[in-house]
Amino acid sequence: MAPSGTVADPPQCSTTDSFNSSDTAENDIRPFFVLHKASSGNHNGKLTGIVKSKRRIESPSPKIAKRSEVESVEEEDGQFFSTLRFKVFETVWSKIEKTIEDVLRNSNSKVFSGIHDWIRESFESIISSGALKLSEAVRSYPVLTQASSKQLLTAMVLTRNLEMVDDLLTFEELELHLKSQGCHVAKLSSMDFSAKSGVGGCLRGLLRQFVMPTVDVADVTILASWYRENKNHENPVVIIVDDTERCCGPVLSDLILILSEWAIKVPIFLIMGVSTAHDAPRKILSVNALQRLCATRFTLSSPAERMDAVLKAVFLKPCSGFTVSHKVALFMRSYFLCQDGTLTSFVRTLKIACLQHFSLEPLSIMLEHFCHDGVNQLSGEGTELLTEATMKHAFDLPSVTRNKITRSTFEMLPHFLLDLQRMPNPWSIVVLCLYEAGKFDKLRLLDIFCEILDPEARYLKYFSPSEIVNSQSHNSGRNNVIRRVLRKLRDLSPSQLSSMLKSWENLTAEFTEINDKVIELHPFMRAVEAAGQRQGLPNSPKKHASRSNSKLEKELKAMTDKVATVIEFMLREYMKPVESVPFHEILCFKNVDKLQSALLGDPRGRIQLDLLESHDILHCVCCSQRGTTLLPSMHDTSILYKLAQEHADVINLHDWYQSFKTILIPRSSKAKQKSKSSSKSKKRKEICEEPEAPAEALIQARFCRAVMELQITGLIRMPSKRRPDFVQRVAFGS
Amino acid sequence: MPPKEESSKVTRRSTRSSASVTVENSEPIESHTPTIDDLTFGEESITIDAVLSNFPGRRSQIFDFIRLMGPLDCPTLPIMIYGGASTGKTSVVLQVLRHLNRPFVYSSCRTCYNPRILFESILNQSLLHRKCSLNGYSSAKRCDKPSDFVNLLREALSSVIKTLESTSETSRSDKPDEKPMGKMVYLILDNVDLIRDWDKGTIILQFLFSLYTVLKMPQLGIILISGLPPDVYYSNMGYTDPIPLYFPEYSEEDLRQIFLRNQPNRKLYSAFLDVVLKPFCRVTRRVEELSTTFSLLFRKFCEPLDDLGISPNEDMKRRLYSHLKPLIAHCLNEIFRVSSHPHDGETRGERRQKASYSSENREELEILDFHMSTSAKFLLLSAFLASRNPATLDASMFDSTGGMDNRKRKRKASEKSMEKKEIAEQEAVMKGPGSFPLERLLAIFQCIASVGDSSFGEEDEEEENTTGYDKENNNLMSDILLQVSSLCDANFLIKSGSCPLEGSIRYRSMVSEDLAQKVAKSLSFPLSKYLYRR
Repeated sequence: MAPSGTVADPPQCSTTDSFNSSDTAENDIRPFFVLHKASSGNHNGKLTGIVKSKRRIESPSPKIAKRSEVESVEEEDGQFFSTLRFKVFETVWSKIEKTIEDVLRNSNSKVFSGIHDWIRESFESIISSGALKLSEAVRSYPVLTQASSKQLLTAMVLTRNLEMVDDLLTFEELELHLKSQGCHVAKLSSMDFSAKSGVGGCLRGLLRQFVMPTVDVADVTILASWYRENKNHENPVVIIVDDTERCCGPVLSDLILILSEWAIKVPIFLIMGVSTAHDAPRKILSVNALQRLCATRFTLSSPAERMDAVLKAVFLKPCSGFTVSHKVALFMRSYFLCQDGTLTSFVRTLKIACLQHFSLEPLSIMLEHFCHDGVNQLSGEGTELLTEATMKHAFDLPSVTRNKITRSTFEMLPHFLLDLQRMPNPWSIVVLCLYEAGKFDKLRLLDIFCEILDPEARYLKYFSPSEIVNSQSHNSGRNNVIRRVLRKLRDLSPSQLSSMLKSWENLTAEFTEINDKVIELHPFMRAVEAAGQRQGLPNSPKKHASRSNSKLEKELKAMTDKVATVIEFMLREYMKPVESVPFHEILCFKNVDKLQSALLGDPRGRIQLDLLESHDILHCVCCSQRGTTLLPSMHDTSILYKLAQEHADVINLHDWYQSFKTILIPRSSKAKQKSKSSSKSKKRKEICEEPEAPAEALIQARFCRAVMELQITGLIRMPSKRRPDFVQRVAFGS
Repeated sequence: MPPKEESSKVTRRSTRSSASVTVENSEPIESHTPTIDDLTFGEESITIDAVLSNFPGRRSQIFDFIRLMGPLDCPTLPIMIYGGASTGKTSVVLQVLRHLNRPFVYSSCRTCYNPRILFESILNQSLLHRKCSLNGYSSAKRCDKPSDFVNLLREALSSVIKTLESTSETSRSDKPDEKPMGKMVYLILDNVDLIRDWDKGTIILQFLFSLYTVLKMPQLGIILISGLPPDVYYSNMGYTDPIPLYFPEYSEEDLRQIFLRNQPNRKLYSAFLDVVLKPFCRVTRRVEELSTTFSLLFRKFCEPLDDLGISPNEDMKRRLYSHLKPLIAHCLNEIFRVSSHPHDGETRGERRQKASYSSENREELEILDFHMSTSAKFLLLSAFLASRNPATLDASMFDSTGGMDNRKRKRKASEKSMEKKEIAEQEAVMKGPGSFPLERLLAIFQCIASVGDSSFGEEDEEEENTTGYDKENNNLMSDILLQVSSLCDANFLIKSGSCPLEGSIRYRSMVSEDLAQKVAKSLSFPLSKYLYRR
């Protein structure tokens, strides 16, 4: 993961005869200027370099002096940019991270406010039903009132994700939110509900958070007494259990039964985080405890919804300028869907991609100016960093060479960078319009984002007339996003079309070209609505009750065709993939292989292959001579694993050890050679070459170490109590 | 547990005896210092008729209890009050003591969940001690051994009895109107059946049952309230048997009287009870449960009405009944109900969507409503198949081409073998899902994940990106043991014992077939092809 300290030097520029004398003079002046700039940074070594270069200029061989100057300049640029790139990375990533945190906080704020409103409403109704006197509140026997129901007010917060990683932060923020509103909040996790410590463990956890950290005995009466002191009774008591399904069921049931006994004296609100379904406590709790819960459901946004919000904030709205290529986006989507499905891992993936981008691409320092959105800074200060070496590198980028841009137009570089900076604006507007259209089919922004990044723009073929006709019969079209949007358009009702056009108009308000196209659709929309009103059934265009209904169908079909035309216009004109723009390598990360190796590592089968074919990796001399024969010079783990292939799933340890011992002792090879009756000269040669036989204890030690390594790797399982002579081979993923 | 009854708020009169008690620590004025009066119920005494009217159906139990308590200052034997849950045991005891105005100490073995907390709770009340911030929320005396408890309790009770005697003499001369408290102190232990589940619970139970014999204090009366009958606590130790007093379940007429109390419109509620009381009494007779359900149903019952004060006629009764009828069967079977809060944004969105997509209502019900990663889904299906299918069929079921379609034909089964199959099928249903080792789960996962990869491969081939196929395959297999751990945390997999031969852990799938179908549908996986049907 650590980036290489030295950056590969860009290819040297060969001096050609095309330079005239005046150009040569200008070229000589520029390096002095750069050297002077670098020396102002308190680099003592550079002063010596300057002196040396001056001497070389005075030397009688001017060509050699020029080359040395160019080399020193290039080395200097590499070192300088390497330091600067990490500063820019920290700037860019901190902005991305803050954006993500703000988005995640806002996505849950509505649910948090709903929970707090529910708590306050219920708390007010409890208080209004009769306030208890102090002596009544702290007594040990139950209060006999009309509303003496022992129901415990409970909020079931549905996280809708199997993994708990994202939700730990969510419940911490819920705790802070409720505390800021004045509630007394305690948070318990599933580790507090262990069968060993029983109900006393979680009560002690509660009292430590509410009353004081050193409570001798965990007693509920302490909570009741504390609640009546120092105006504590003016606010409700909230207990958050963030991962309910992982708790020990009997202990949680006992806690609920105890708290419900005291629910009148201490208004307690229970918040339980549930990941699968809101009736999941039915499996965990006892019947008595379930009857004590007066449950209300709250639903958090799903991981897919939060993913869409994060994507919109980081990649579609002006954030940092950093973006990823089509392949990288596909990999990140696959990692989110196929692995653990948590937003935490997605953010980690994004950070690794960003870090690798800054460590590999020298020109990524330009992102600092993109980050600040300073156009003037780009044209002024930014160009000072563009030395001749970086100019060479910029014009050697693949996107530049493909577009046949030559060095003669290097004065145009600020112009290209300005276009590169401004490009995301119409692009993101079109993406958001597609997202609005795709919402009717529950399309996710992640899928849309991955498809439209395609550098070959394959989605444009769906707008051809033949494709539209054939789209009905394609079964595999389900997985294609743009095609689904177009097919869904035909099923929309007039009211849905109208709402979509309104949202499109809002999105494109700042972009006149697209907004005019959307506004042109208004007369057709009004015609459709008029036809619908005449029919009297605006939401059911499919019925064939009369001729006016067929007229409505015609109007609707014409309308959807025009909407599809607008979509095609938006895609063709403004949906240019970032990878088709010159100089996009400055802000776009493309190396998907590095990202994959950083995240996934090698699959489990790779371990087995490496052990079986160690020669292919080591390329040692001894193994190549003998072919596939086992040799004592091989690694012990490889020897043992190859021997294990001869056994079934269950390996006898004694047999395994004997085979291992046979490999290590060279006496057996002597006997084999003798039995073959080879020549005397071969005998002498082998006697001299073979090392001494290792001791029995050493063989056993090496055997035990190798077996232990195989166990740690997960390839075998150690003997069980009933069969101490055998180990079992774990064979999967091969 | 207790039936509903109103509690009148009365300012407690301060007596001269409370002023005479010396306070060791000076506390703030707001806080309350426990006095000897706190041992009584603390409110104005009620008449016997009030007690009887508060508890319909408990007349004989109340009179028996008062008779067992005996007249003022009369020693009494230990009493055990037992019966099912929510039959009024605790409430009757407390109200009778309120009627008699006698001092008592109450501790529940649910709140006091271990011996130390129980002992210290009793001692704190006897010593008029309350845990607060001034004393660091600590008990008056530390006590976690039965022998210490006997000595400390004897000292505390002796002190209380002396105070009661002096108070009794003073109140006779000054306030002849007030009911005397007497010199008896009653120790009430509630939920004593929970002690059996404690650590060393048997020893504690024997100790509590012999407490009367050990203490030998005639001024102490012991009342045990239990959910189980006295036969459960029988042991060989010799102690005084408590006098049993049984609280049977309420009859239907008793329940009617209980629920009709304190209703603003008795006629309307009586019509409601005519509809709901009979079917619900077959399910449960617990007042606590019925009260919760009835309050929900009554609101539904009254929805068509504008005025809640009217007397319904027959036609109106029929209309209200038809309005309520669809809910009754639903509530009869449901134990745990989760209501929706109006602030839940997701519910609003879902409702709006359902309104606009009426044709897709069924699809929404079938959609998996929480997020799982793809590998976790395949693993869940693997666990489901491993639990349902016999292990011997894995080789034929999960070969390279996959599925049951490979079978050319089945043998025609005779009636005898079909009968045997039906018997075996019923036995399998009774046993529930089977257990499987981890290796079998991972082998099945590898097979069906490769089937799933081929569908991914189709998508990638369409996009002319063949490298994606290999990467997808690698993606599904990594961190597979972490996915197993996640499924265990979510209670989709549970560990069920160990294999008797090899000692390894075996797993069991707790996934319902509906959930498995949902997961398979989200993956486009042909689950029915791999599921063995007997």
